[in-house]
Amino acid sequence: MSPVPHDPLRVEDCDAGGEALALLEGAARTYRSGAVAVEALQPVNLCVRRGDFLAVMGPSGSGKSTLLHVLGCLDRPTAGRYLLDGRDVSALADRELAAVRNATIGFVFQRFHLLADESAVRNVALPLLYAGVGRVERARRAAEALESVGLGPRMAHRPNQMSGGEQQRVALARALVKRPRLLLADEPTGNLDTVSGERVLSLIQAENAQGTAVIMITHDPEVAARAETTLLMRDGRLMAGPRPV
Amino acid sequence: MGEGLRHVARHPLRSILTAFTSAIAIAVTVNVISLSFGMQADIAGDVDLFGRRTIDVGVPPALAPGAPVPALGDAEVARMSELLVGLEPIVVPRRQRASPVRAAADTEAVPQRMQLVAAPPAYVETLSIPLAYGRWLVEADDALPAPNACVLDHAAAARLFADPAAAVGAEVELGLDGALRRMRVVGVLADPMRYRELFEIFDEGEGARTLTSSLLSFRNVYVPARTFGGGAYTGVSIVLPDDEAVLEAQARLIRVWADASDLRALSGSSLIVFVRRQWMEALGASTMQGSMLGNIVWLLIVLVAAVMISTLNLITVRERYDEVALRRCEGARRVDIAMQITFEGMTTAVIGGLAGLPIGYFGASVMRSIVGFPFRFELRYAIAATGVAVLLGLLSSVVPARHAAALQPARVLGRRLR
Ligand SMILES: Nc1ncnc2c1ncn2[C@@H]1O[C@H](COP(=O)(O)OP(=O)(O)OP(=O)(O)O)[C@@H](O)[C@H]1O
Ligand SMILES: [Mg+2]
Repeated sequence: MSPVPHDPLRVEDCDAGGEALALLEGAARTYRSGAVAVEALQPVNLCVRRGDFLAVMGPSGSGKSTLLHVLGCLDRPTAGRYLLDGRDVSALADRELAAVRNATIGFVFQRFHLLADESAVRNVALPLLYAGVGRVERARRAAEALESVGLGPRMAHRPNQMSGGEQQRVALARALVKRPRLLLADEPTGNLDTVSGERVLSLIQAENAQGTAVIMITHDPEVAARAETTLLMRDGRLMAGPRPV
Repeated sequence: MGEGLRHVARHPLRSILTAFTSAIAIAVTVNVISLSFGMQADIAGDVDLFGRRTIDVGVPPALAPGAPVPALGDAEVARMSELLVGLEPIVVPRRQRASPVRAAADTEAVPQRMQLVAAPPAYVETLSIPLAYGRWLVEADDALPAPNACVLDHAAAARLFADPAAAVGAEVELGLDGALRRMRVVGVLADPMRYRELFEIFDEGEGARTLTSSLLSFRNVYVPARTFGGGAYTGVSIVLPDDEAVLEAQARLIRVWADASDLRALSGSSLIVFVRRQWMEALGASTMQGSMLGNIVWLLIVLVAAVMISTLNLITVRERYDEVALRRCEGARRVDIAMQITFEGMTTAVIGGLAGLPIGYFGASVMRSIVGFPFRFELRYAIAATGVAVLLGLLSSVVPARHAAALQPARVLGRRLR
């Protein structure tokens, strides 16, 4: 939890706090195919500080994933700036963006995105491979991360030997193993039953309590209620959402 | 390596197809390499037997009509020894003539035209061909009033006797100056040619003999020097201790006589100096050209394989968009993705290629047993073929690797697949 509650849509607040982790300044994303331009993300201001927990809701096609991809350095804004940890990442080369993703950002997706033929522990170790961590250390840290999501005994299992909830916890362990400062979750409970979803959410909350900023997309108001702040996306525009129930 | 093998296990059917394509390409590679390089290496080895360090001095073979025949007698032989002083040459003059020959026991047989070579015992030095049976001629064979010992080369023995081994001790009849002469076979030379059939094309049939065929030792009957005629020699063979001495000797000899590599000399009226090794090298070059065709076929097959494997790899990449996107999320750079795809492609191609090695070897042995073609297999050919498999893997990974590396993770994750 951030020490002082703030309005993430007010960039000024962010600057005042001096601890902006991710700062979007008029960042926009326009898709062009031929003459047609889709403004998937209208110019948006957003300030995320260490320990923030934001939920983003909104109808399908409103631009939620687009926002998340920009925040996750998977996509570059076509206008505006994106400062991550004080560094302007909107113009970085692909190679540098890869390094930023690897060092700073954890991803969790609705469809888990696990490598089907790899064991849980190898799936979790994947980011460390790209970070250049040695084999033994990779295995050790991956095992540790799996323990922390309660999957210690399932280390050697493959995704198809696990339930959806377990798979999502593996995915979460993979996101957390690199100790990210920003955790981005795109409908992490969208494919899970309530009990499994609950388990994943409490793990995310626990991580947030350690200071990791979390931005989570969801369609479920009850899930959104776990966040500190809920934002609403509509037609590419980001606005304040309903207060937590 | 582990990653590559896991990839193979992940897509067994496709990997088998890829590996199979690679195996075919590598099998053809092995075939062509072992046939063409093998043939060349063998020919070079065979040809070495005909006197790598021997120089022949003789009358030009295509003497122009009316041109005076250059003298080749004891005076010339002495001059050669004098010119080559210090090079430790063995100088062996010989007389040669065609003659009908048949086995004395086989009176029914039609005499066959062969080449009689009358030379001193040192003549054996000019051939690097070992004796298969019996012995070579000695001084004593020439001491008799009418020498009656002879040595057959393998081709001659095979023509005259059903079993060349049985020739030693048997008698042959030679037609010499209108009379029949009986000679006892004291030795038979080994067959120097592993692939005699290949060289038979140089032998233009019964009567017509070429310089080439006589050098290749086809149907020669070696007899003591005094067996026939005095007067001019047909040729002089000079054996030198090493390649360097051969070149030096050639340089000295062509100051006096014509160099055979100068084509005009072949019909001139000077004696010609013929370095066997240079002729061998020319022969090697012409077989090289022959193997060009095989190489073109091989190259085409490898190219087709590369296209096919590229296609298979591309399909695999298209099925793995999610995986690629995820890896990119987790910090893989484009180059990491490209390297992964390339490495996986290479693993499959190399596995296939290794399987192709024995297939190619087997195929080549079958070909040899059917057409009797020369064929040789060596470790370095296997290494070369494996190299080709690696190249094939690399080549067929270029398009898929570029495709995978260009993938935009955000589009894949947003289900826009690309
Ligand atoms: N690569 C692209 N090219 C063109 N248009 C795109 C592209 N990606 C997204 N869009 C468009 O941008 C808009 C926002 O898409 P986005 O995926 O961000 O929506 P979303 O809010 O995540 O929807 P959902 O809830 O269904 O996941 C949509 O109109 C979509 O069609
Ligand atoms: Mg979405």
